Amino acid sequence: MAASKEEEELKGSGKRLKCSVTGRYRAVVAEEDVRPCEEAEEGVAAGEDGEDDGDDGGDEQLGEEEEEEEDSELPMKPGLFFYPLTPTSFVVSDALEPDFPIIYVNTVFESFTGYRADEVLGRNCRFLQYRDPRAQRRHPLVDPVVVSEIRRCLEQGLEFQGELLNFRKDGTPLVNRLKLAPIHDDDGIVTHVIGIQIFSEAKIDMNCISYPVFKETYNNECEQMSVYTPKDGPLPFVQDQEMCGILQLSDEVLAHNILSRLTPRDVASIGSVCRRIRHLTKNEHLRKMVCQNAWGRDVTGALERMTEKLGWGRLARELTTLEAVCWRKLTVGGAVEPSRCNFSACAAGNRLVLFGGEGVNMQPMDDTFVLNLDAANPEWRRVSVESSPPGRWGHTLSCINGSWLVVFGGCGRQGLLNDVFVLDLDAKQPTWTEVLGGTPPLPRSWHSSCTVEGSKLVVSGGCTDAGVLLSDTYLLDLTTDKPVWKEIPTSWAPPSRLGHSLSVYGRTKLLMFGGLAKSGHLRLRSGEAYTIDLDDEEPQWRLLECSALTGIGGQSAAVPPPRLDHVAVSMPCGRILIFGGSIAGLHSPSQVFLLDPSEEKPSWRILNAPGQPPKYAWGHSTCVVGGTRVLVLGGHTGEEWILNELHELCLASWQDMDAASDE
Amino acid sequence: MATSRKVTLLSSDGESFEVEQSVAVESITIKDSIEEGSAGNPIPVPKVNSKILAKVIEYCKKHVESAKAEDRVDDEDLVAWDADFVKVDQATLFDLIRAANFLNIKSLLDLTCQTVADMIKGKTPEEKRKTFTIRNDFTPEEEEEVRRENQWAFE
Repeated sequence: MAASKEEEELKGSGKRLKCSVTGRYRAVVAEEDVRPCEEAEEGVAAGEDGEDDGDDGGDEQLGEEEEEEEDSELPMKPGLFFYPLTPTSFVVSDALEPDFPIIYVNTVFESFTGYRADEVLGRNCRFLQYRDPRAQRRHPLVDPVVVSEIRRCLEQGLEFQGELLNFRKDGTPLVNRLKLAPIHDDDGIVTHVIGIQIFSEAKIDMNCISYPVFKETYNNECEQMSVYTPKDGPLPFVQDQEMCGILQLSDEVLAHNILSRLTPRDVASIGSVCRRIRHLTKNEHLRKMVCQNAWGRDVTGALERMTEKLGWGRLARELTTLEAVCWRKLTVGGAVEPSRCNFSACAAGNRLVLFGGEGVNMQPMDDTFVLNLDAANPEWRRVSVESSPPGRWGHTLSCINGSWLVVFGGCGRQGLLNDVFVLDLDAKQPTWTEVLGGTPPLPRSWHSSCTVEGSKLVVSGGCTDAGVLLSDTYLLDLTTDKPVWKEIPTSWAPPSRLGHSLSVYGRTKLLMFGGLAKSGHLRLRSGEAYTIDLDDEEPQWRLLECSALTGIGGQSAAVPPPRLDHVAVSMPCGRILIFGGSIAGLHSPSQVFLLDPSEEKPSWRILNAPGQPPKYAWGHSTCVVGGTRVLVLGGHTGEEWILNELHELCLASWQDMDAASDE
Repeated sequence: MATSRKVTLLSSDGESFEVEQSVAVESITIKDSIEEGSAGNPIPVPKVNSKILAKVIEYCKKHVESAKAEDRVDDEDLVAWDADFVKVDQATLFDLIRAANFLNIKSLLDLTCQTVADMIKGKTPEEKRKTFTIRNDFTPEEEEEVRRENQWAFE
């Protein structure tokens, strides 16, 4: 509270900031700390003593004295950020000169980094990313994504906050929790950038990092031209070495820049080629990079836990071959009451969320339930919300940005809906908020939805008033301040349908499968697959011509029978699993089918998963948790709608089934 | 920022190339050494011979020009130009990779490495060996181990 009062004073005063101590926090960037470099030494001496004294009254006095006698060298807007009372290093850079040269660093910076002010003034701060003064570029462990983000923020005059690996002058690695703030003059032009660094020990032993092979060649300044000498085994013939261009590349370039771009399968394949490449491909860090590039950072982040037991190589393999796939039953506590069907559920991280549904007497429900699978004994809990969207069934619930939920459409008490509500599951008091998105799509139920690129909701098809089937595709970008529904105009659309599935693969591509589709004046179960790439300039739906892979040993053709209300799951490697649903004839709904839509000739495959699959055929909801667990909940057994027995299709092996939550 | 300043680059085999500074600083290595004042004139570029340096300069020139261009239609043309640029023999391609790495030209490094990655994709190990003239240096026991480990990759 004291801090915010201070903040208010500073903001309201319109004066320059002064250095002061209030409670645990104090305003950083005192006027006396910021002087042009000619006076830097003096400024350091005067300012630093005050700062480093810590939390005694000496600071206040010094601050006040300084304020009285100082000149305004740099006009600054007050209301910057506050920091805990640990020695903070900071740097001021000139934003009007090319490449943001440093014009001031404080002694805390000098002592943490080992660089003296006179060694760094006039340079851009990036030298901190080099492992030592003779290095020619930043160290490969420095996250290039963060570096790009810094560049972007500087270009756009935005604040930056993040963490970056830096190095002392002697090569010791440091973690730099960095804040960059642009300073504007009265005309609004950015004149300076202030960097505040909280350095801490990096828990990396540079001698034992996961790719010792890189360290060796990195330190070798002649790396580019060095002939590779393996530590064990005979030397390859020099003649061959000269002919083979690819092996003349350094380990760093070969692994970081080339191998990391391959799929897990190609990495395993090229790892079979020769010793050196095999050695490189066994490196856990490289394998993680491969997974990140192949599946995206979000998915890989979710999979991190699995790798503690399996390692990235094994995980990639299992997710590619699905050799460890099996069904498991999971019993959970709590209850979703009153009982219901036709609800919608999805996963937000490791939590399952359920909203609405149809109760007894066809009554639309409006309550929200959460099942936390991270808990030792997971149980369903009602989420207490201040207000709920109108009750409904036949709607869709999707996850946005990992912890937000969005509801669209469905059938409510007074008919079909086309409203949008969002909920922040992590808010202290989660509240459903309506999102008014311009002209919404037609009201509907039994449509399909999915989330593209974290926060774009896509909705398609369904059944609108008077039982009319739809074939449209709409997108709502929830990242913008004022989201607006946009129809995706296509010259052709798959026949209108309900009860179909929409799955995302390859980041921006959608696969639509099945459903009850219009066929002339009939409605028939569909077994067709359609794809669209939303990244295209003019996205178009296309029928996906799939063949059936006749398996080894004379397995029969594996095309999934037509169905609606089935389950479709996107896997990390871009493949889609299909099972369940309402299927005509005598086919077993628990057969699992697999499709890779991005193959040249996509073909359906049957996936044999041992264990006990769900008995019920339709009315499921599925969620994918942690990237490798496919949970099927609900479903009608003929008697009741079961929500306490979940069926899980494990995609990768679990060593121990304890739901041990780690620290 | 001075735009029409020229710098001279000296290849490892002694040939000089005069280029606009804006083109030369596509290379972060050169950029840093100019800014640190340690560059000297001409700027020596060890490890990169004239043939490769000429190509690198050609790439940087094209990309600097495209960045200045008004209309965005050039994006597609640039992609096509890049695709043509890397249609070179393997030796040159790897030399370009090394040069892009040493000179720290990210876009060129990405382009050339992606080209190599594309050459690797989808082939069997034997095909990969042929493509890159890599000698199989496994002992028979290692070969067996490797086959078991990676069998899954070939279905």
